[in-house]
Amino acid sequence: MQLKKLNLSQVLAVATSSLLAGTSQTVLAVDNNNDWQVDSSVLFYSETDRVSVVEPVVSARKKIGDDEYLKFKLVADALTGASPNGAIKTSSAQTFTTPSGSSTYTTAANTAPLDPSFHDTRGALSAEWEKPLNERLKGVFSANYSQEFDYSSLGLGANFSWDVNQRNTTLTAGVGYSLDQVKPVGGMPTGLTAMPTTTSVSKSKLGDTDDKTIASLLLGVTQVIGPKHLLQLNYTYSNEDGYLTDPYKILSVLDNSGNLRGTNPYLYEKRPTTRTRHALYLKDVKQFGADVLQFSYRYAWDDWGILSHTLDLRYRYELNAKNYLEPHLRYYLQDKADFYYYNLVDGSIPQFASADYRLGDLSTKTIGLKYGYVFAENHEFGIRTELIQQQAEGSAQFPDTDAVLVQLNYSFTF
Amino acid sequence: MLKDFHVEPQQGFYSGHFFAMASPCELLMETSDHKLAMQLTRIAWKEANRIESKFSRYRDDNIIHRINHANGEPIQVDQETTDLLDYAQVCYQLSEGLFDITSGVLREVWRFDGSDQLPSVDAVDGVRQRVGWDKLNWNRPHLQLQPDMEIDLGGIGKEYAVDRVVQLLRDKTDISVLVNFGGDLCVTTSRQDGQGWCVGIEKPLYHSSQLQASNENIPTVLELKSGALTTSGDARRYLLKEGIRYGHILDPRTGWPVRDMPSSVTVAAATCTEAGILSTLAMLKGAEAESFLKQQEVKSWVMR
Repeated sequence: MQLKKLNLSQVLAVATSSLLAGTSQTVLAVDNNNDWQVDSSVLFYSETDRVSVVEPVVSARKKIGDDEYLKFKLVADALTGASPNGAIKTSSAQTFTTPSGSSTYTTAANTAPLDPSFHDTRGALSAEWEKPLNERLKGVFSANYSQEFDYSSLGLGANFSWDVNQRNTTLTAGVGYSLDQVKPVGGMPTGLTAMPTTTSVSKSKLGDTDDKTIASLLLGVTQVIGPKHLLQLNYTYSNEDGYLTDPYKILSVLDNSGNLRGTNPYLYEKRPTTRTRHALYLKDVKQFGADVLQFSYRYAWDDWGILSHTLDLRYRYELNAKNYLEPHLRYYLQDKADFYYYNLVDGSIPQFASADYRLGDLSTKTIGLKYGYVFAENHEFGIRTELIQQQAEGSAQFPDTDAVLVQLNYSFTF
Repeated sequence: MLKDFHVEPQQGFYSGHFFAMASPCELLMETSDHKLAMQLTRIAWKEANRIESKFSRYRDDNIIHRINHANGEPIQVDQETTDLLDYAQVCYQLSEGLFDITSGVLREVWRFDGSDQLPSVDAVDGVRQRVGWDKLNWNRPHLQLQPDMEIDLGGIGKEYAVDRVVQLLRDKTDISVLVNFGGDLCVTTSRQDGQGWCVGIEKPLYHSSQLQASNENIPTVLELKSGALTTSGDARRYLLKEGIRYGHILDPRTGWPVRDMPSSVTVAAATCTEAGILSTLAMLKGAEAESFLKQQEVKSWVMR
């Protein structure tokens, strides 16, 4: 019989430090068997008067050798409800055609226009192979596929981590590539052309399908600061190329007196066909006795002019050996894209334009709490509730959106 | 009964002495302050005695006794015992059964008195049925043994005591102290001049006429600046039959002594507990001791 040569002394060091600290927490993390370790969860997300999402997830991980693992994950999403179509509210009722062009819907006066036909289901499957390449180098190779009725995505990735400095420092480098295909209902509208307001007119189309590719690169450092303190810094770069526009979103066009213009009052949005994104991510994990404090900050920017900050704070509080609570606070702040417009003005239509609130000035506050119950090693139940408030800054057009998220999860081995 | 402790001034430092856990225990303290040396030695002496009385299997008033005499009933244990049992479980799992705190009952058939009295295969097989961490039920904080099984934390107790004492001393003082419980050593912090504490390694006597070439590179004195050093060996207790030495370290999986075992293994690690497990496991690996230690990437010295 061969002792597990790669991790024995490391696991021993972790177990010893927890023994001497008077806490047996890390013992739970010791992976000693070849069983399937299964995580299952279901997430319910609901925005007031808008989108609802139900998302079940099952993932299973199995040890297939010394520090070698296979992991599979299956995700399903079901979205229903209404989503803002991009038009502004006006003092009179407004009529829009649905993406298929076969029907219309009408929004009452002084009401934000929502597209009621918004619904989607998505299925995604991913597989991951974690393989030690030598004593210090580990590779994780992944593939994923997802399918919606109007979108599909195929991705491949490889991630390498290299332990240096007596395993106190881990250097990480990864690359990813995904090829997506868009096939919108009713085809892809030509950007900044009129949305028909009756079913008797058809929209101008670019075609029925288009592609999008995403190439990404990750560079990271994880540093052990002390026996109970870890710091992680990542840089990610990604380059998107292809059809990046939302085919279902429009903008209102106002005349010089501030009313909807008489002819063609709505134009389909149009975004650039490339996007280069950068992000810096810093994470600090510290253990206090049995409790764990996790803080992260993410700074992201792209060549669309979007710039964002994300602050995230979690504290895992051990009530006793079996029960824990984890409060969670998150704050997200975003500066809008250069081509984000609340509405357009007749006579000065720009090259690119979108009124998608997700590209606008935005802030999101999240407060949440998780309760976990540990039945036994690798056997745990958890429930997480979060209240999310989204504010589109400086715009009376989009009132605050409140959302509630509830997630139940159960993990076990067999 | 608690035995007393005493301190002695040395050349530029103080030493503290007492006897606990069947071993001579020693502290070397980089101070010329007699009062501080007394304080520190008292801390170490109290903690060593606390751990010994709590976890010794030779007493009838502690948690180990209650566990070993529960007649199959589950026993609820305190947090410190939970942590040690969790740790023993990790060691059992990591070593795939080589390290097993239930293996003590094998001593019922093995008596290492230097004679040629080997137990019969049947006797070993019989007692082996009562050995195996996988046969007990550890549902923290409840431990349930089969009625005829026993646990013994002796395999990690002394090293754990050293580490606990080191922690207590670090909380108390910034000076450098070497804690040495019967050859299991740990330093609290480096000495002021950056020098280490000099530590002798015992070379096995019975081999002195036929030391293998590889042993000649092994130092008899090591300088310990930080971290811990432990030595496992079977130099003193063995059986000899038909030219084969049967060392006193038994493989819990077979019930028989480990074959081709080194005569001693010394390991350096951050803590005594870690070093102790690695040196014990290296012994149990027998002929593979050197390659095992090489894989662990720890500083180690093997004598054969």
